[in-house]
Amino acid sequence: MTGSIGHTLQFLTVFLVIAVSFSLIPILLARIWAKAFSPAKPSSRKNAIYECGLESKGDAWIQYQSQYYVYAILFLVFDVESIFLIPFGVAFLELPPGAVVAMLVFVLLLFEGLVWAWMKGVLNWK
Amino acid sequence: MDERLRSELSRQGVVAIKLETLYNWGRKNSLWPLGFGLACCAIEMIAASMARFDLSRFGAEVFRPSPRQADLMIVAGTVTKKMAPQVVRLYNQMPEPKYVIAMGACAISGGPFKQGYNVLKGIDRYLPVDVHIPGCPPKPEAVIQGLMLLQDLIDGQKLTGPGRPRFLKKGEPSDFEVPIEGAHDLVPPYNAAVWRPCKITIDE
Amino acid sequence: MESIEQIKLRIEQAIPGVILEIIANGSPGNPASIRVDPEHALAVARFLKDDGQLRLDYASNVTGVDWPDKVAQQTVKVLKMVDGVEKEFDAKVETREPGFLEAVYHLYSMELKHGPLVLRMRTGDRAGQTHLPSLTPLYRSADFQEREIYDLYGIIFDGHPDLRRLLMWEGFEDHPMRKDYAEPDDYEFEPTAHNQVLAKARRHYPPKASNG
Repeated sequence: MTGSIGHTLQFLTVFLVIAVSFSLIPILLARIWAKAFSPAKPSSRKNAIYECGLESKGDAWIQYQSQYYVYAILFLVFDVESIFLIPFGVAFLELPPGAVVAMLVFVLLLFEGLVWAWMKGVLNWK
Repeated sequence: MDERLRSELSRQGVVAIKLETLYNWGRKNSLWPLGFGLACCAIEMIAASMARFDLSRFGAEVFRPSPRQADLMIVAGTVTKKMAPQVVRLYNQMPEPKYVIAMGACAISGGPFKQGYNVLKGIDRYLPVDVHIPGCPPKPEAVIQGLMLLQDLIDGQKLTGPGRPRFLKKGEPSDFEVPIEGAHDLVPPYNAAVWRPCKITIDE
Repeated sequence: MESIEQIKLRIEQAIPGVILEIIANGSPGNPASIRVDPEHALAVARFLKDDGQLRLDYASNVTGVDWPDKVAQQTVKVLKMVDGVEKEFDAKVETREPGFLEAVYHLYSMELKHGPLVLRMRTGDRAGQTHLPSLTPLYRSADFQEREIYDLYGIIFDGHPDLRRLLMWEGFEDHPMRKDYAEPDDYEFEPTAHNQVLAKARRHYPPKASNG
């Protein structure tokens, strides 16, 4: 058992090293090339904010709408719920019937929360 | 490297190539244009990029909407004086190495509208232009020829030495002065570092 | 559509105090235009738009015209005392008619499918009194076109919702379509094959005789 895991770990390490270097080596090569051949020429005109050629005035920061936050929270809640449902689904057949009832209660609680949010109009995008 | 040695190696399956050639080959065959269609020449540029005359065979696959992702600016159409500062600003925002193609008579010198009050008499007054494609508008084949001319130009660019292009030399500028809209004309009317009126005599 | 004289009569009946003038158009096939005084222009336009027989609800073209000052030189015989004897001399008298700017509206009817009726409005002069009422509240298509006239001629339209320059930039100080616009000296000469063609052609034509 340990032998096969050690064998797998070896493979994984090698693959990890290859994957990381596959992404890092071209970046390193580009940096070396840039240092050797092309001099850096930064300027404020070059780094100006792109606005189709116009001069942009003011900050690009805006105030985010709260609907984004609400949607993200709802998604998170149901995502976590599905994570709980996955091991339940895997071990479903070995569990006593009471476990189904317990799971049903859990799902219904969250469903009631969804119904409440729906009725409150939270799901309408303003 | 000796030609015979090179062909001998290639027969064995080994390709020997200079770094400079490889660099230029990669760049010239993947010129992504910032299609700057301003007027009628834009239609011909679009036609050149579409099915019959396909520019993407030559590497100009996608016309980028953003200057940060483009390395070729095809100024197609009349540049008005109101638009000129924006053209120069967009050129400044492109990363090196960058090239400019002036397509059509209007971008080269003002074209048929040269006497217009709002017409910039050629975009080469403010930007260094690499290839001029004459025509009003130039046929898509002419656009392709201009692109191929630019590819030849890129092919001949050196990587080291005094003959190397502007973007590899440390002291050379990579962005140019943006003209300001003045009370009667653009200020300055042309960028003296980039363009001078030609000295000619007119014989009667 | 009725004739222009009939329209003029009906406008004069409907709007008291309006001053109208029919300006004939010399070229064949082109309609004569009605000149309206600026004070009543909006009322006239509203009448033309709402009237049952005319219903001119579409301003297809709004343009400006620059009429520069007319300078006429006349040779007048003047009596002058010279050495105690009255003699007649020819003196050149310059008469100067002040110029003005005009806004010309071409009105069509989409509903009754007739037109055009050409309206004209004149400003006081070319320098200080260049205000005219804007017809944009009635005709939305006049919006940009009046902005263009403001940009290129300098006529200020009172009542326009957003009077800014359109083709030239904010901060430009001249009005390019005026007759006395001095364009900046940035027109460099390019030697083209045309010069050789011109030189060749000149050999065939006699030189222009100078006016004497």
